[in-house]
Amino acid sequence: MARTTRLLASLAALSFIVASCGGSDSASDTTAAASTTAQELTFTPVAEGKLTVCSDAPYEPFEFQNEDKTWTGFDMDLMSAIAQRYGLALEVTVQPFDGIWLAPKAGTCDVVASSLTITEERAANAAFSDGYFDSFQSLLVRTADKDTLNTLASLSGKTVAVQTGTTGEEYAKANAPDAKIQSFDDAAAMFLALESKQVDAVLQDFPINAFRATKMGTSVVSIKFDTESEKYGFATSQDNTELVKAINASLAEFRTNGVYDGIYKKYFG
Amino acid sequence: MAISKRKKAQYRRIAVYVLSVIALLAVALVVDWGRLQSAMFQWDIVVEQFPSILTNAAKNTIIFTIFGFAGGLSFGLLFALMRLSTIRPYRWFAATYIEIFRGIPLLVTLLILGFGIPIATGWHWPNPYVQGAVPLALVASAYMAETIRAGIEAVPKGQMEAARSLGMSYSRAMITIIIPQALRIIVPPLTNEFVLLIKDTSLISVLGVTEGTRDLARFGRDGVNHTANATPLIVAGLVYLAMTIPLTQLVAWMERRAKAASR
Repeated sequence: MARTTRLLASLAALSFIVASCGGSDSASDTTAAASTTAQELTFTPVAEGKLTVCSDAPYEPFEFQNEDKTWTGFDMDLMSAIAQRYGLALEVTVQPFDGIWLAPKAGTCDVVASSLTITEERAANAAFSDGYFDSFQSLLVRTADKDTLNTLASLSGKTVAVQTGTTGEEYAKANAPDAKIQSFDDAAAMFLALESKQVDAVLQDFPINAFRATKMGTSVVSIKFDTESEKYGFATSQDNTELVKAINASLAEFRTNGVYDGIYKKYFG
Repeated sequence: MAISKRKKAQYRRIAVYVLSVIALLAVALVVDWGRLQSAMFQWDIVVEQFPSILTNAAKNTIIFTIFGFAGGLSFGLLFALMRLSTIRPYRWFAATYIEIFRGIPLLVTLLILGFGIPIATGWHWPNPYVQGAVPLALVASAYMAETIRAGIEAVPKGQMEAARSLGMSYSRAMITIIIPQALRIIVPPLTNEFVLLIKDTSLISVLGVTEGTRDLARFGRDGVNHTANATPLIVAGLVYLAMTIPLTQLVAWMERRAKAASR
């Protein structure tokens, strides 16, 4: 009796696993199939059958992994929609942010999707897609400091964390010359440094700071610098004009057929 | 006609030389030198790196290395002696310490000590140099403890016995007789440790760097960022070599002298 029960239980468990695997697959298939029209492959990916994406992750809510390890986030959802449109599987290669836009040129990946602001300097060495997101610089501080550290001038003599190679780093160096600027490899280290009081503020893109503030509750965004908006773009090698065209065509389609709005709503309400 | 053994060896040697020359020529012809130079060795970028690569980056690398090595050597000696002690708790403590710090990668140790401890306790690291050098020294001491222990054990037992029979205390014999001989034995592995430390300093930048505390590797990476060219990395690599090669040569020379003296 005991044996049969155990057998039945394991069979049930097995069928559950099979069902849930199939279930999640078909679920993602239907959402994608309903929203994109399949296109013929016009570019040559670095790995056959895959759209290889370089990204400095985790960088919530743009690129991070779900509990089941699938890549998600604003950038990643757009990328997987584009991959699906061309019948490719999404493959993500994580690497540090500094100089990440050179990766497609070096053949590491097809495209960079990493909350990458389009700048003239970067565009000299990479081809950018059309902008797909407007961002601003902002300041994340510990909750206790929210009324004292909320202007550029208030940063004088304070230690400010920035990420190496980002527009936030450039912005801090140009606009907060009296602050002690500390550069970090990744966003996670900046948040740790803020928690450990090694730094007084984190200067980086608003959506990332805002997401962190809501998620953890120990810090707040004290100011969003509204002076200049930055446009995020996907970067490819300058030789890969077909891929840029394919991405731009996809983005244009997503903006008209509701895919873009759906993804935007998912992460930014 | 049979070929003699010596002739055979000679032919083989000539063949190796010829093949090496052919391989070198092949590399020289296949590589697109112009492209390589423009991507990795642009002279104006090389010039741009100086002098701050030396006055700032190399200086910081040296500071981290020296603090790491000095701390590692003193604590390493302490742990080695504890490991050899007749008092059990000393041995247990030293063995546990060595296993932990030798087994955890420096990168992880840096993050745990650099961020984890302050978050958990509310205590601050006084400055970035201490924050980087202390974990480096702790990990180095674990490695050096084992090296020093091996050195002490390599000194013949008779030395200790002779010293004790002359009326020296255990600690006096250790300090004046055993440890000096042990240090001489472990100069080559300690040099190795020093070179490893120089390179390990490149991990400290995960804790965040200011303009003034950048190490050589970080300096090179920042350079790549600014120039979109690999030249700064090549220059940083050459500066590392400019530090390690004279050091290893100096130690090799010292070893030769020591060998001649002890003959």
